[in-house]
Amino acid sequence: MRGRPNLYTDYSKETAIFPNLTQKFWFFILLLFSFGLVFVASDYWILLLTTSFLIAVAAWGLNIISGFAGQISLAHGVFVGIGTYTASVLGGVATTYVIGYELDMIIWLPLSGLAAALIGLLIAPISVRLKGLNLGLVTLALVFIGSHLFSNLKFITGGAGLGRKAAKLVLLGFDFENGLQIGNLLLEKNQLIYILALIVCIFAGLGVKNLTRSKTGRAYSAIRDGDIAAEAIGINLFKFKSSAFALSSFYAGITGALMFSVSGGVEPGTFNLIYSVTFIAIVIIGGGGTVLGPLFGALFFSLMPGAIQTALHSFGSIGQGLALSLGQIERIIFGLFIILFLIFEPRGLWGIWFRLRNYFKAWPFSY
Amino acid sequence: MTIFLQATAEGLALGAVYSLVAIGFVLIYKAMDVLSFAQPALAVVGAAFISALAVDRGFPFWISLLIGIILTGILSLLIERTFLRPMVGEPVFSVAILTIGIDILLRTVLDNWIGLNPRYLGDPFPTFGNFGSISIGGIVLKYLELSAFLTAVVVIVLLSIFFKRSKYGVAMRATSFDQEAALAQGIDVGKIFALVWFIAGMLASLAGFFITGGFNTLTQFSFISALRALPAVVIGGLDSIPGAVVGSLIIGLTQGYVAYFQPNLEGLIGFTLGSGFSLVAPYLIMFVILLIRPDGLFGTEEVERV
Repeated sequence: MRGRPNLYTDYSKETAIFPNLTQKFWFFILLLFSFGLVFVASDYWILLLTTSFLIAVAAWGLNIISGFAGQISLAHGVFVGIGTYTASVLGGVATTYVIGYELDMIIWLPLSGLAAALIGLLIAPISVRLKGLNLGLVTLALVFIGSHLFSNLKFITGGAGLGRKAAKLVLLGFDFENGLQIGNLLLEKNQLIYILALIVCIFAGLGVKNLTRSKTGRAYSAIRDGDIAAEAIGINLFKFKSSAFALSSFYAGITGALMFSVSGGVEPGTFNLIYSVTFIAIVIIGGGGTVLGPLFGALFFSLMPGAIQTALHSFGSIGQGLALSLGQIERIIFGLFIILFLIFEPRGLWGIWFRLRNYFKAWPFSY
Repeated sequence: MTIFLQATAEGLALGAVYSLVAIGFVLIYKAMDVLSFAQPALAVVGAAFISALAVDRGFPFWISLLIGIILTGILSLLIERTFLRPMVGEPVFSVAILTIGIDILLRTVLDNWIGLNPRYLGDPFPTFGNFGSISIGGIVLKYLELSAFLTAVVVIVLLSIFFKRSKYGVAMRATSFDQEAALAQGIDVGKIFALVWFIAGMLASLAGFFITGGFNTLTQFSFISALRALPAVVIGGLDSIPGAVVGSLIIGLTQGYVAYFQPNLEGLIGFTLGSGFSLVAPYLIMFVILLIRPDGLFGTEEVERV
C-alpha cells in the first residue's frame, strides 16, 4: 500500500501505535528535540518542562478514569498525595519528627504507584454503587478527609504548615545531586530530573495509548457511554471500574513520587481541593478522552507561568503597574480557560489541534 | 448539660447559616439541573461588597447590607446569563466544572482585594453591639448567631409563601418540574433561570454576612465555611428544599457537637481524630449518607432509562 498511507487493510495495522510512516518520523523528531532541549534550554524552562511532563502523567491517570471510563473523580490530588508520601517515607531522610528509610528509587517509585493504586482499589466499590454527580460528591468528601489525614499524620507528613523533605533521587546507587559526567559534558541535577521525567512521561503515554487499543480500553469506553448497556453485553462493571480506578491512581502515585523531589519539599496543605480541580481542568483544557489531550493540557498549564512572565518582561514597566500578581493572573487565565473551553471547544486543545491538522492535510482544498 | 446546650445552640445557628446557602444550591439545581460550586464564592463576594461599602466607604451599615445583597444577586444573575445559559442541556458534570471555573475567577479577584489582613463587616447596631453576646442560663449566645437563626427562619417562611402564592413562585415550580412543559404553558424559562440565580445570589450574600460577620471576619479562607453547605445539600437531597434545611441543621449540629465533645469522643474510641476534626466531620457524614442513600434523605430517587 505504498503511497496510500491512510488505507488500512487490517485492524491491527489501523490500531498500531504509529499507523503510518509520517507519524513515526515526527515522533522520532519530537523525541530527538525533547532530549536535545536538555542542552539548550535555560534552567527555568527545564524546570517548567519537567513539571509539565510529570503533571501530564497524573493528568493521563485522571483521563483514564474520567475520560475513558467516564467515572468522575474529584480526589485525584489525594492519590498524588498518597504517592508523594509513600515515596517520601521510603526514599526520604528521617528526622526527629518524620520517618524515612532512604531506599533506592528503583524500590520507592513503583511502590508509591502501587500504594496509590491500592487505595484506589479500596475506593473503587463506591463507584459501582454511585454514579455521575453523586460519585463526584463522594470523591469531594475524600479530598477533605484526605487533607485532614495528611495534615494530622505528623510522623509521615511533618504536619500542616511545616511539611517535610521529599524522597531523595538515588537511582541504583547513583545520586542525582552529584550530576553525571559524560566525557567533558556535565549533566546537572535539574537536567537529569528532566530526562527522568521525560522517560517516565513517554512510558506513561505509550501505556495510555496501548490501553485505548486493548480490550480493557474498549470496555472502559463502553462503560462511559452507558454502563447499563455495557453490563448487558457482558462487561463486568465491578472489575473494570476497579481496574480503572487502580490504574488512574497508579499514574497519580508515580507523579506524586517524583513531582516534589524536583522542588525538594512538600507541605500537606498542597493537596487541597484546588489541587485536585487543577487536574480536572488540565484534562478539560487539553481534551478529555483522548491520548494526547492531557499532555497538551499539562504543557499549557505548566508553561503558562513562563509565557506570562516573558510577556510581562517584554512589556517592561507596564507589567510592573498591574494590580494582580503573577500567580493571580495565572489563576484568572486558568479559570477563564476552563469556562471558555467548556463552552466553545469541549474537545479542548486536542480538538483545536485536530482541526488544524485536518485543515493542513487537505490544504489547499477545504476537505 | 450546659455544654451540651451551648453546643446545640451554636450548632443550630451554624445550621441556619448553612441553610441559606443550601437553599440557593437547591433552587439552582431544581431549576437548571446545575450543581453550582460558585455558590460559596458568591457568599464571600457578598460579604466583600458589604465590607467595602460599610467599612471602606463608610456607608451606614443597613444601606450597605441592602446594596451588597442586591449587587451579589445581580452578579449571580450576570454569571448565569453569560456563562451558564450557553450550557443548557450539557452534561451535569461539565456544567459543575464550569462553575468551579467561575469560582476560581471570583475568588482570585476577591483574594486580591481582601489581601492578607482580615476584614470586618461593620456593626448593625453600634450602640447595641453586633460583636456582643447574651447569656441565658449559662449559655452564651452571640447576637450574630441569634440574628442568623431568626433571619434564616424569616427567609425560609418568606420563600415558602413566595413559592406557594406568587405567580413567579408557581412558574418556578413548574419550570423545575418540566422545562419544556413550562415553556409550552407560556412561562419564560430564561427569565425563571435569571430569577433563580438572583435569589440564590442574594441568599448566598446574606449567608456570607453571617459567616464573616462579627469576630469571624472576612479572610481568604472564609469560603471554606460556605462550602460546608454542600454536604448539607447532599445529605438532604439535591432537589429538596426541606431536605436542604434539615441537612444544614444536621451539619451545623454535628459541627457544634464535635467541636465541644471531641476529647470525650476520642476517649471513647481510643485514638485521636486530629485537630480541626469538626470541620471534616460534615464531609464524613456526607460520605456515609451517600453510600447508604445516594439521593439523600429527602431527595427523589433518580430513575435511569437505558
